Amino acid sequence: MTESLVVLDRVVKRFGTFTAVREANLTIDQGEFIAIMGPSGCGKTTTLRMLAGLEEPTEGEIRIGGKRMNTVPPHERDTPMVWQSLALFPFLNARENVEFGLKMRGVDAPTRKRRALDWLERLEIGQFAERNIETLSGGQKQRVALARSLITEPQLLLLDEPLSALDAHLVIRMQSVLTRLQRELGITFVYVTHSQSEAFAMADRVVIMAQGEIAQVGKPRDIYRAPANRFVAEFVGRNNILSGKIAGANAGFVRVETPVGTLNVQAEGTAPVTGTEASFVVAADMVHIDRTPDGAENAVQASLISEEFIGSVVTLFLEAPDGTEFKVQLQERALAALEPRTGDVFHLSWKAEDAHLLPA
Amino acid sequence: MSRLNAYALTWRLPIIIWQILFFLGPLLFMIAMSFFLVKNYRMIEAFEFKNWEKMLSRGYVWDSYWLTLGLAALSTAIASLIAFPAAFFLAFKSSENLRRWAIFLLIIPFFTSYLVRTFSWYVILAESGVINALIGNIGLGPYTMLNTKFGTIIGYLTLTLPLVVILQTVSLANVDKNLIQAAQNLGCSPWRTIRAVIIPSAKAGLIIAALFCFILSFGDFVAPYYLGGSKPPTLPILIIDTTKSGQQWPRAAVVAVMMMVTLFTIAFASIMLAYRKRVSK
Repeated sequence: MTESLVVLDRVVKRFGTFTAVREANLTIDQGEFIAIMGPSGCGKTTTLRMLAGLEEPTEGEIRIGGKRMNTVPPHERDTPMVWQSLALFPFLNARENVEFGLKMRGVDAPTRKRRALDWLERLEIGQFAERNIETLSGGQKQRVALARSLITEPQLLLLDEPLSALDAHLVIRMQSVLTRLQRELGITFVYVTHSQSEAFAMADRVVIMAQGEIAQVGKPRDIYRAPANRFVAEFVGRNNILSGKIAGANAGFVRVETPVGTLNVQAEGTAPVTGTEASFVVAADMVHIDRTPDGAENAVQASLISEEFIGSVVTLFLEAPDGTEFKVQLQERALAALEPRTGDVFHLSWKAEDAHLLPA
Repeated sequence: MSRLNAYALTWRLPIIIWQILFFLGPLLFMIAMSFFLVKNYRMIEAFEFKNWEKMLSRGYVWDSYWLTLGLAALSTAIASLIAFPAAFFLAFKSSENLRRWAIFLLIIPFFTSYLVRTFSWYVILAESGVINALIGNIGLGPYTMLNTKFGTIIGYLTLTLPLVVILQTVSLANVDKNLIQAAQNLGCSPWRTIRAVIIPSAKAGLIIAALFCFILSFGDFVAPYYLGGSKPPTLPILIIDTTKSGQQWPRAAVVAVMMMVTLFTIAFASIMLAYRKRVSK
């Protein structure tokens, strides 16, 4: 069996006494779209820079295409990067920026020009080919930066928060541009971001990093439904995290005694020992909300504090009598039927299999 | 609005007055003087083209002009070339602390009079000086270095090199490091980034450093006089000689105006080149 395109084998990166990345293990397959997500300073950008050769791992090994890359200098790799600052050359025009990688590889001028124009055309900015960089808009610059990185047709493209400087509506457009390109070209994207919506919308798999460690790797849906630990559950957001004591177990489920009542939770693998502390998560969109009790197994009463609209999705914030907060996500249409007013008491319920026990 | 203007003007007034009194005034007077006449060793106000006709038709004036231009250009090229590795090291390879100290040390030569620094070269360059003594040990020399064009260039560099290194260092240190990394990321070797990214990014500062070097060398009297032996004369020496021979201040003014026009042209062209915007289609 051939090895994955990219392998990080127990990679450690220290800057002086500060450990930026600790014992990172990760494999990335050919053609995958991987997003590395985490808060500032979690080591995601350092990881990306190690892939580009801009930082050298302190320990461990990075292999790309089966070859040990630790000490290969950046210019001898084929790992172009789209920079957060874009890092377009202000002394070159759009086309010359795009040509840069080919020029460095000794491609002759007419071929360079033709291929650069092809790429600019493909990214729908062909008419700006001869323009100065500073005369282009943010979105156009972004496309020039993409074309510049893709012109050498690399196997692996690194993206460092490329959309963070764009307006919200442009971000959505560029997301579709990126996913379409990635599918058409079949190349591997490693995309670093702090934005959950970008990561979850585009990536095949998401890597969540915290304080230099990889906290979880998985499909967006799996990370959302079954966060590996409390950090991921909180970071991913829109999760209800409840804590209590294990009261008993039967047939793949455990009962957890919480301040809001005894609740049933799905427990994969070995059930935790009765009497121990445990936490579990319920995704906000898995919680059913109603005016009257519906007789479901996990039911809690809570009063409405506030609501938040994002497009057609509404998040309700509620509070149980003991102060436990709940988040419930539902469609705007469903909300209209509910006619909620602040202070109203609602019945919340969810299925036991939608509740996931967090590792202790 | 008018009060704000009055306030701003109050602050700007001293520099404006200074420039009028000590730059614009003398300049206009010098231009006017180039049309004056000299009779019986006295200058007479007039508006005649005689001085210009005389000076521009003399071969030795033009010989001196091209010599001065050539030496200043050579000094600029040498200073820019030998300053660059030092500035590159200070901007990219040294710590911030070392860079601060280096710039401080580069300013120290300006504490001493340029004349003193020029005379100290006698000890080093003379027939019986330090260099000839050293290379004499291995059977070479002695070489004549004083009173040659080589001496003039050494003098020019004494004046300009520290300044060129400082200006180049500052402009290289301001180059966006992300651009250098981006170039390497696209397959540009570290050596090649110098030509492909660093020089184009620092272009304005590098050109202005060279311009300063040219202006200082072109107008310098000390180096060609004391280290270059004043023969053949450069334009500043020609000015002195002209004023000494028969009180020909108007003819000296002609040479001075020629120098001013040359410097204006070169400074203007350099600044245009430094800040040239690429034409956007």
